Amino acid sequence: MPEYVEYWGIPHQWGSPSILVYSVMFLAAGILLVRFFLKARLWWKAGRSESRWDRIPTRIWYLIKYGIIQARVLRQSYPGVMHVAIAWSFFILFLGTALATIHSHFFRFLSGSVFSFYKLALDLATILFLVGAVLAIYRRYVTKPERLTYQPQFTWTLVLLVLIVLGGITTESLRLAVEQPVNAAWSPAGWLLARGFLATGASTEVLTNLHLYVWLVHLLIVATTILTLPVGSLFHVLTGPLNIFFAELERPTGTLPPTPTTADGAPIYVSKLNQLTWKQILNGDACTECGRCQDACPAHGAGYILNPKELILGIRSLMDRVKSGQAGYDLPLLDNPGLSQEALWACTTCGACITECPVLIEHIDTIVELRRDLVIEGSIDGELQDALTNLGRYGNSFGQSPRKRAQWTEGLEQPVKDATREKVEYLWYVGDYASYYPSLAELTRKTAAVFQKAGIDFGVMFKGENNAGNDVRRVGEEGLFEMLVEKNIKAMERCDYQAIVTTDPHTYNTLLNEYPFPEKRPILHYSELLAQLIEEGRIQFSNPLNFRVTYHDPCYLGRYNGIYEQPRKVIQATGCELVEMPRTRDRALCCGAGGGRIWMDEGNVKERASESRIREAAELDKVDYFIIACPKDYTMFQDAVKTTGFEESLKVLDLIDLVDKAI
Amino acid sequence: MTEIVVIARLVPDLVEELEIAPSGKALDRSWLRLIINEFDNHAIEQAIIIKERSGAKVTVISPDAEGVEDMLYSSAAKGADRLIKLTGLDEEKKPTNKSLAQSLAGLIKEINPDLILTGVQANDDLTGDLGPQVADLLDMPYVGYISGVSLEGSTAKALKEYPGGLLAEMEISLPAALGIQASEEPPRYVAISKVRQMMSTANIEEISAGELDTEGEFTIERMYLPEAAEKAEMLEGSEEEIAAQLTSVLEDLGLL
Repeated sequence: MPEYVEYWGIPHQWGSPSILVYSVMFLAAGILLVRFFLKARLWWKAGRSESRWDRIPTRIWYLIKYGIIQARVLRQSYPGVMHVAIAWSFFILFLGTALATIHSHFFRFLSGSVFSFYKLALDLATILFLVGAVLAIYRRYVTKPERLTYQPQFTWTLVLLVLIVLGGITTESLRLAVEQPVNAAWSPAGWLLARGFLATGASTEVLTNLHLYVWLVHLLIVATTILTLPVGSLFHVLTGPLNIFFAELERPTGTLPPTPTTADGAPIYVSKLNQLTWKQILNGDACTECGRCQDACPAHGAGYILNPKELILGIRSLMDRVKSGQAGYDLPLLDNPGLSQEALWACTTCGACITECPVLIEHIDTIVELRRDLVIEGSIDGELQDALTNLGRYGNSFGQSPRKRAQWTEGLEQPVKDATREKVEYLWYVGDYASYYPSLAELTRKTAAVFQKAGIDFGVMFKGENNAGNDVRRVGEEGLFEMLVEKNIKAMERCDYQAIVTTDPHTYNTLLNEYPFPEKRPILHYSELLAQLIEEGRIQFSNPLNFRVTYHDPCYLGRYNGIYEQPRKVIQATGCELVEMPRTRDRALCCGAGGGRIWMDEGNVKERASESRIREAAELDKVDYFIIACPKDYTMFQDAVKTTGFEESLKVLDLIDLVDKAI
Repeated sequence: MTEIVVIARLVPDLVEELEIAPSGKALDRSWLRLIINEFDNHAIEQAIIIKERSGAKVTVISPDAEGVEDMLYSSAAKGADRLIKLTGLDEEKKPTNKSLAQSLAGLIKEINPDLILTGVQANDDLTGDLGPQVADLLDMPYVGYISGVSLEGSTAKALKEYPGGLLAEMEISLPAALGIQASEEPPRYVAISKVRQMMSTANIEEISAGELDTEGEFTIERMYLPEAAEKAEMLEGSEEEIAAQLTSVLEDLGLL
């Protein structure tokens, strides 16, 4: 019966080979741990404290899901398959070595069919690795995607990994060639190579000696790999899982943390390296430089200086300067590669980077924290300053009188109830754009008319409503956000209502995730309410539309709050045929308006995100309508169809337009 | 330490439609919303810029009105050192510049400033004579339409705007009063949390305006929104037709 033989072909005259192997490995691992500790120690030394030790079982599940199964890595097919082929094969090979150690020292079980399966598994892992390596080589040296950074470390790491696996399979096949065991066929790759060695006609002695040399080299390469882990691209196998383990679990993405404070309650506005938390600094070292965030970023795509990957790597390079003793922990964060005011202001907080990151880096928290410091320092552009001043004074970014907030209701056949005076079932939070933006007034009236037709008992707060503050908070004006929240909660407390409905995903997000309501009531996006009314038969369609349409997922509805189905249900209920864009659902491209961008000077832009999005839709076959579910989207895409010249062929319609037409 | 006094006023916010009070002689204050006079806002900014550049103690004085505390705290958040609210004014009746100037001059005299800055005019005071009157009472030179000031020893170097886009750089010996048209940099944004912090730390001094001298005061007989004039008559048609119509109109008016 075939059985695993420890150190086959390794001479024992120098003592047991296991002493050599364990000495080398423990030494390498020890040195690695010390080097890792020296690096990791700085995260806590430089960074502010922040507790990430809650909910350990969830953290372990995250480690399995994102670290071992690599769910995020698999979001993209080519790099996903490439990476898991390499990673999973190494998991199996590592497990194989561990099992062999158990067999040798604790429990002998690698014999007979178990041993044969063991050999097969390791051989298949080798093949899997080679597939991954070929994909990696082709990608890195032939297709060369722009998002990858090309540093010698990657080549170094890849060469080492390939050598390790080739070393393993070669020692294996040399043993097979000499031994020719009965279960040789269970090592298909090894046996193929073994037959190659046998075909050379080399003697058993030559093959056994060669085996020894290859084995020694293999051992040394493994040790070298471990020793050089912190300088090669493999360092992410330590920092990535750590970053995943310590991911933010308390807050949903749609909830920003308040301004941090010192022990005695003074606010901390982050402008220096040591004002970041250790976790934010760890983000820098955990970045695998895969560039998925860069590809997904609407600001980067539009040609702005912001690159989420470089922003995070900017933190790493500052830490490197600290480590090398060139600077202290109080290094200013801005005016460094990747980190600039311009980059910070370009962010639309769309959340695409966060959704793509395989190691769960939290870019937006850091961006908003840095913006808060700029706001406190008054370093904001003139247009944003006007918007914030208006928001502070009038409760809307347009600088219009609060008394005109419900002016859009003029011209409605049926008056709209004042929810601050009358009891209503639904409190409609209209939001700034739907209230004040001139070309949206008709749409807002249409929404009211549809609600009225459906027999919904609703009202609005008239001048009692202020901007909900979602984007005020994301701009970094935390004090103004708090003030708006106080005003709005006070106004809403005066109303008697069962649920809140809004057409604005931004308002929806902050009401749902950030407002400290004393009493929780349902908060609905109008797509949810419409879907519900259609399901209940309260909205019935007598005029099916037969349009071929595509739907743009608003960031704050989809990616932030997972509302994907309801708008689609509404679209399909109106009789439209829905054709999806390539970037859909949580991959949807931002329109470019979020995070306060709509209030800022556009700056130098190559291709607006909204234009890129319209071009994407225009490439769909025979799609005539571009459906949106966000007032800001309406303004952004109405402009974009004009500037891209698709005004005639692609019409921008709101969800409510479809419902209104189909009723 | 250089002492700078800024006189800042709240004026009707034109974002809200103006309503006339039932008396027909004043604005309806229940509809009125007040905002800092834009030029005064620039005067505050200019004072803070001088303070940051060469050091100074900045005092902001404002006649009491609804919302004046917010405005003063906001000035403190920008960097003003002392906040004074001028109290005891008739809420219903706007004081004349003359009486206000007398009251302010008495107060400012005690501060003994090197420089007085105020907006060159206001939307409810296009004459803009508050600054000159204060300067006169304190026996100081006054220059208006200033868009940038720096202090050098006992003189101020100021940029004065003239019509036609002309600028003059002038040297004024201190103490002096300047009417600010624009600050060197646009007024800065001050974060709400900073203003709120000032609300709990900064102190607003309340100083009585005292008895106002009403001598020589005018009274408003009637205040009203401009009445829509008759609509213009548009002449339409081809050039010849328009010319013919125009001739007959002029004939009717007895001009031809």
